[in-house]
Amino acid sequence: MNDIVRMTDISKVYPSSNVRALDHVDFTLKKGEIHSLLGENGAGKSTLMKILYGMNAPYSGEVVIYGEKKIMSKPIHAIELGISMVHQHFMLTPVMTVAENIVIGREPRKGILFDRESAEREIQKMIDTYGFNLSPKAKVEDLSTGEQQRVEILKAMYGGAGIIILDEPTAVLTPQEVNDLFAIMRRLKADGKTIVIITHKLKETINIADRASVLRDGKMIRTDIQVKDTTIEELSRYMVGRDVELGIQRPSLEIGEVAFEVRNLNLVEREHSILKQINLKVHRGEILGIAGIEGNGQSELLEVLTGVRKPTSMELRKNGELLKGDARAFIDQGIGHVPEDRMSQGLVASMSIMENLILGYHKRPQFSKRGLLKDTEIEEFSDQMIEEYRIKAPGSRTPCKMLSGGNQQKVVIARIFSEDPDIIIIAQPTRGVDIGAMEYIHSRMLDLRDEGKAILLLSADLDEVRNLSDRLLVIYEGEIVAEAERNQMNESEIGLYMTGSRSQKSGE
Amino acid sequence: MSFLQDNMVYILVATISMSIPLILASLGGIFSARSGIMALGLESMMMTGAFTAVVGTYFSGNAYVGLLAGMGGGALISYLYGILCIRYKVNQVIAGVGLNLLALSATTLLTELIWGNRGSSPQVASIQLNLSFLSKVPVIGKILEGQSILLLITGVFVCVAWFVLFKTVYGLRLRIVGENPKAASTMGLKVKAIKYQGVIICGMLAGLGGAYLSIDHIDLFQRNMTAGRGYIAVVIMILGRYHPFYVVVAALIFGFSDAIQIYLQGQGIPSQLMQTIPYVVTLFVLAFGVKHIRPPAGIGMHEDDH
Amino acid sequence: MESRARIKALLKKLMNRKVMISVLALVMAMVTSGIIIKLSGYSPVEAIMAIFEGAFNGKSAIARTLVQATPLILSGLAFTVAQKAQLINLGVEGQLYLGALATAMVGSMDLGVPGGLHLIFAILVGMLVGGLYAGIVGVMKVRFGSNEVIATIMLNSIAILVANYFVSGPWKAVGSVTGQTEKVLDQVRLARLIPHTQLTLAIAVAIISCLIMKWFFDHTVPGYEIKVVGQNKTAAKVAGIQTGKIVILSMLLSGAIGGLAGGLHVLGVDGRFITGFSPGYGFSGIAVAALGAGSPIGVIVSGLIFGVIRSGSMLLDLKTDIPLTYADVVQALVIIFVATPMLITEMIHKSKRVVSAMNPSSKKGEES
Repeated sequence: MNDIVRMTDISKVYPSSNVRALDHVDFTLKKGEIHSLLGENGAGKSTLMKILYGMNAPYSGEVVIYGEKKIMSKPIHAIELGISMVHQHFMLTPVMTVAENIVIGREPRKGILFDRESAEREIQKMIDTYGFNLSPKAKVEDLSTGEQQRVEILKAMYGGAGIIILDEPTAVLTPQEVNDLFAIMRRLKADGKTIVIITHKLKETINIADRASVLRDGKMIRTDIQVKDTTIEELSRYMVGRDVELGIQRPSLEIGEVAFEVRNLNLVEREHSILKQINLKVHRGEILGIAGIEGNGQSELLEVLTGVRKPTSMELRKNGELLKGDARAFIDQGIGHVPEDRMSQGLVASMSIMENLILGYHKRPQFSKRGLLKDTEIEEFSDQMIEEYRIKAPGSRTPCKMLSGGNQQKVVIARIFSEDPDIIIIAQPTRGVDIGAMEYIHSRMLDLRDEGKAILLLSADLDEVRNLSDRLLVIYEGEIVAEAERNQMNESEIGLYMTGSRSQKSGE
Repeated sequence: MSFLQDNMVYILVATISMSIPLILASLGGIFSARSGIMALGLESMMMTGAFTAVVGTYFSGNAYVGLLAGMGGGALISYLYGILCIRYKVNQVIAGVGLNLLALSATTLLTELIWGNRGSSPQVASIQLNLSFLSKVPVIGKILEGQSILLLITGVFVCVAWFVLFKTVYGLRLRIVGENPKAASTMGLKVKAIKYQGVIICGMLAGLGGAYLSIDHIDLFQRNMTAGRGYIAVVIMILGRYHPFYVVVAALIFGFSDAIQIYLQGQGIPSQLMQTIPYVVTLFVLAFGVKHIRPPAGIGMHEDDH
Repeated sequence: MESRARIKALLKKLMNRKVMISVLALVMAMVTSGIIIKLSGYSPVEAIMAIFEGAFNGKSAIARTLVQATPLILSGLAFTVAQKAQLINLGVEGQLYLGALATAMVGSMDLGVPGGLHLIFAILVGMLVGGLYAGIVGVMKVRFGSNEVIATIMLNSIAILVANYFVSGPWKAVGSVTGQTEKVLDQVRLARLIPHTQLTLAIAVAIISCLIMKWFFDHTVPGYEIKVVGQNKTAAKVAGIQTGKIVILSMLLSGAIGGLAGGLHVLGVDGRFITGFSPGYGFSGIAVAALGAGSPIGVIVSGLIFGVIRSGSMLLDLKTDIPLTYADVVQALVIIFVATPMLITEMIHKSKRVVSAMNPSSKKGEES
């Protein structure tokens, strides 16, 4: 018997919301395997692994590790058993050094003193072993996302963990970085480590995993899937519960004239050049996608193009006319903006659906007159939107925080789309939503495009950008480094541009 | 010449003695803030410390017992602050303001109940020990000779605080908890315990600062005798970048403004207007001095946040 | 039938979570302070009786209660208005001080205008001064990102010192020993509703102010924008709301209401500005607002409750040795308990467990 972890009949109910996140789930890990734990957002993957890591007590069911029954109520219990976890949102302290971040909790010491030298020496040794390009003395805030992930992996390894759980590790990485990560994982496997990779990406599962388990709505649908004997289609059917058409494309039928044009956009802040000489055009009936690793200026670009942030220089034309002003002016000029993070930028979670549906448009004559809100009209409008956009909610007065991620996103989308803007700037339209909502949002976007709207799409999900966009730009360090028509470039080519390894700009 | 010189010495002496309670309180604030709890309750800890120090001295007749009582009083109310912020996750600003008001009203009430006088306590024994043995030191001897022994203690505390925070394993852990409690918790640190410790250290130091005001400075307790110094200490802590050494420098600026104020009152300028100086200085620092100072990132966060 | 259903719906609305927390917090604050009274050697029952007697026994007692409630309601409203924009205006005391001083000065000048006009003008100047003084903090917050808690505390001290300077110096009433201004003209004094008491229309003004602010937040565009900015500043910015202006606007409003509280006190109670006239009304407002759970209507109710406590405590002070400061302790405890809903739900759970432990039929109880 080489099951080093056996979880039986695990259930977890969150008392605050009474949601059953896990429903009698069984799960096993074999020594030395790479095991992919598959499922959609909210299927319970992280919940299950956080139970194994002691972060999600109390739970019901039994956890047996190395043949012994254990109660996992604190992370320290897992750490002592050699289980470590690399979280999706890194658990790092940016102002501290690599070494400090790695050794915390098991610091080498001299009496009461922190023995910094030997900590740094030990970590340098680990860095050398794995061939990472890192300095133990560097501050974490100065590292790239990929480097930060390596710090997390070192942190997991420090102290000699035998089981490593990686929670959505590729979500923040470029295709090249993903390859590097997989190489590291294979290397760890060769060293006899057991690895769990939590993911919703089927391709990755096929590429790296030995075995897979699939969770859906808190239930274990299939476990003990031998990856070499399965297909992407089969896995996706387990994951979603029905057949999904993956990667369908619906190219534009008619691309019109230029609707939105940006010239000579530069943004310099505190002597850092954040956006450099950006020029782009979006035509009617076209979706222009911008691909890039997060943190290469997309957020700033979005804020500049929606009037939230002032650029150092920019010439912006809508239908040939010069556009100026702040966010208010941009909204009034018919530029719709779906912000990248609905919770922090798109919604006021504590306020009702109807109050959120007028946000930004609340001064329009249909919603207010001489400073007074038209309550009846607003509520009618809201009821209509809930129906039209299939927002699952008890009513217009329900606070948005009570809705699921997908329905929250639909509130934002409904607000923007219903105002019939000529130009839509939309960022991360389907981040953290379920597949049903994703399909719906994508088809609404394509419908609008076919009606002749110009759409600028920014997304960290490369598949999303590739499938939706009629034309595609790649942004790297605040600069547009590549442009391509639909399907002109394959994924790894785009990846090269995204990491700056290649550029179409010549001689500049 | 000698007139100016005499005044200079007077002002410097007052600067240092006005700085001591501020240094102690903001030093305490560092421990609290570095563990992730913004010390907006400093005023309550100082006030309670000032009060319990007088009570301790009054009933024991010994000012040193009073000092300990002051630290104990500060620790007690900071423990309460900790319970609110750590266990019950109360908004730190509201908890701080609530406790500040509670300390003000409770000390006033108790002053009345114990001594039957609404405004202040009777005079009690005071700390007699001072640094007169340093009077022979050239140049600064004159400034130091009248200072309380607490100046020395404060200096020692500043160095110890620096050492603990930046050289020991304990300090590293405290700072990690204050920066990212979730990360600390996933690495098996006892986040809540460390936060309680940070807050209680804060209370002891602030309580000592309060005790200095009451039993070392004027030898009695007066209603609202800290008069906003706890809030000023918060500004000093931020201006001092949450660092023990810089905090001393920042506190001296405020001590100096207090000293000038006291000095100028003797010069025929209306006293009410002069008394506004420290508050005005604080406002200016708040407006222009602290904008780019980054607080510990984990302030107000809990290890089990989602 | 229908009316019963309506009452039921109303009751349900009234008994929501926030109201429960407020009620329980008040009960816990009273119990805690009862323990304090017991520990200091008095009888809590007698104290409560004295408070009720002091607050309700006779016309003049009720009048006094309402007079006490007036500045409490208004300063509670001032705090609530700022809180809607997620600002903590601890400076109501200073705004109230300067508003009172300004109203007193305008009221004591002979402007040669009819009484009603003079009165309104005096009040408006007080509101303007209070508003502008709070506006400083709004500007500091927007321009420099200053912490408004500390800024307002500093401005309180400055306001009180400066006001004291003026009334004990250049603006001191002729022949007066203590710091106070000249009496305001008779024509600007608020008429007494009950003779020989200090009860005036001020209480009505306070209540109407609350109703106006409720309407403002529920039905107007600026009210909506203040709420959005308070709940999510980034989303407000993305939606094109000028957040800086909104922050300053809510501080101006909050300060103006604080100034109104001071002005009404001058015209209704003292007839002039007297140094140290406020026993900390501005700070009591925090407790009123906390108990009022962020709702202007709640503020009316909680202001009246604290009016009862304060006015009752005056009798307590006279009849027993329990000092008036007792009311301040209750206020501080209310602030703390209201801010601690987790404690209250924990207590409810515990009491449920105790009940189920005492009840033999459900011996096993439930494990979380």
